[in-house]
Amino acid sequence: MIKFKSVYLKRKSKEIFSGLDFFVQKNEKVLIQGKSGIGKTTLFKVLLGFETIDKGKVSFNDLDIVKEHIKNIRRQIFYLSQDIDLRNERVNLFLDEVLEQNDLKNQDKTHLMDLLNFLDLSSKILNQTVTELSGGERQRIGLLICFLLDRPVWLLDEPTSALDDIMKKKIADYVMDQEKTIVLISHDDVWKENNAVKIERWV
Amino acid sequence: MGAQDLSFLSLTSLILFLIPVFFINRRLTLTINKTMITSIIRMCVQLGFVGIYLKYLFKFNSPVLNTIYLLIMISIACQSIIRSSNLKVKLFFIPVFFSLLIPFTIILFFFNGIVVKIDNLFEAKYMIPIGGMLLGNCLRSIIICLNSFYSGIQKDEKVYLYSISLFNNHIQALKPYFTQSFLAAITPIIASMATIGLVSLPGMMTGQILGGSMPTVAIKYQIAIMLSIFYTEYFSTILSILFSLKVGFNELDVLNHDIFIIK
Repeated sequence: MIKFKSVYLKRKSKEIFSGLDFFVQKNEKVLIQGKSGIGKTTLFKVLLGFETIDKGKVSFNDLDIVKEHIKNIRRQIFYLSQDIDLRNERVNLFLDEVLEQNDLKNQDKTHLMDLLNFLDLSSKILNQTVTELSGGERQRIGLLICFLLDRPVWLLDEPTSALDDIMKKKIADYVMDQEKTIVLISHDDVWKENNAVKIERWV
Repeated sequence: MGAQDLSFLSLTSLILFLIPVFFINRRLTLTINKTMITSIIRMCVQLGFVGIYLKYLFKFNSPVLNTIYLLIMISIACQSIIRSSNLKVKLFFIPVFFSLLIPFTIILFFFNGIVVKIDNLFEAKYMIPIGGMLLGNCLRSIIICLNSFYSGIQKDEKVYLYSISLFNNHIQALKPYFTQSFLAAITPIIASMATIGLVSLPGMMTGQILGGSMPTVAIKYQIAIMLSIFYTEYFSTILSILFSLKVGFNELDVLNHDIFIIK
C-alpha cells in the first residue's frame, strides 16, 4: 500500500533520508520509533505531497505522488499532525466544514455523540474555539475527526502524547482494532504493548 | 475660466514650512530628514516630467500614444505593487499585470463612453487623468491583499497544509486567508466612500472647482470616479489573487517559498 524505495531527501544541507526503504501492507499497523529530527514526520509529509523527495520512488496504492493522483491519495489518508494544526474556529463549525467537504454532511449525529462519549469529551466543547482547547482536548478532537472521516489509511503523529494513561490505553486498543492501514509515531509504551503492531526502529 | 497660475516663487514659498519640520525632527531625533527630502525632490521631478509629457500627449492626442502611455503606467504600477508586497517581480509581473489591465480597461472605457459620453474614447484629457486615478488607488489595495495573503499563509503554513489534508480541497483551505486579506484591502475604499464630503473633499473635486467647474458638475464627476475606483479596486484585487495562485503554489498546492524577496 505504501512504498518508499531508496528515497533521498535533503533539507537545508541536512540529509533526512539517504536511501530509505519503507513498505507498509494493507491493514498493517506500523509503529515508527526513533529520536526526533530523524525524519519520521517528513515521511508523512512526503506521502501527503507536502514535501517532495530528491531521488527515489514513493507510491501510495501504486500511485505516484503527482498532481494527477494527489486528490485521490489525500482523500484516502487521514493525517493527525503532532500539533493538531486545526484552523482557529468554533469546533462545531469546523467539524461541519470538514464533514461537508468530505460529503459526510448527512452523517448521523448520534455517531458524533457516541464518539464524544468514548473520548470523554463533553458536548460543550463543540461551542468552544480551537485556541480555547487544552492540548489533550485538541488531540482528542483530532482523533474524533479521524474516526468521523473513517478514511482507509491513518498517519498518526504522536496521537496520545497529551492524554492520561487510561485514555492512552483506550485509544491504543481502539485504534489497533480497526481494519485500517495505520502508521504511527509515538513514544508512548501503550502502542508497543499491543500485539497487532509491527515496530520499526529508525537510527 | 481656469485656476490662477502659480508663480515659481510662490510655489517655492511652501518650502518655508520645512524649517520647523526639520527642527522638530532633530529635537525628536527622528531620522527621516533624508527620506523626506528625497521624497519631496522625487515628487517635484516626477510631476515636472509628467507636466512636460502630458502637454505633448494632449497636443498630439493620439490613441496609440495614449494607450502606450497607460500601458507603461500599468507596468510601473505593477512593479511597485509586487516589490511593496515583498514578492518577486519576475514571477508575479504577468499575473498582476493582467489583473490590473482587465478591470482597468473595462471600467475606463465604460466611464469614457457610457458615463461621460465622449466621442473619442481615447481622448487624452479624460483617458490619462482618469486612468491615473484608477491605477493609483488600486496600488494600495492590491499591495495589502497580496502581502497579507501570501505572508499569512507562510506564517500559518502548518494549519494551511493540515486544512488541505482534511478538506482535500485547496480552494477551501485558502478561503479564510483570501477572505481576510481581501477584506483588509477593500475596507479603506468602502470607508472613504462613507465619509467623503463629511471629512474630506477629494482632490479631484477640489481641482475641478479651482479649474472653474460648477460644484454640481464636480460632484457628479466625483461620484462617478469614486464608483469607478471602487469597482476597479474590487475586481483587480480579486484577480490579483486568482491569477497569481499558479505561481504562488506548486502543483501539489504547497506554498512556493521562492516567491518571497529575502531581506
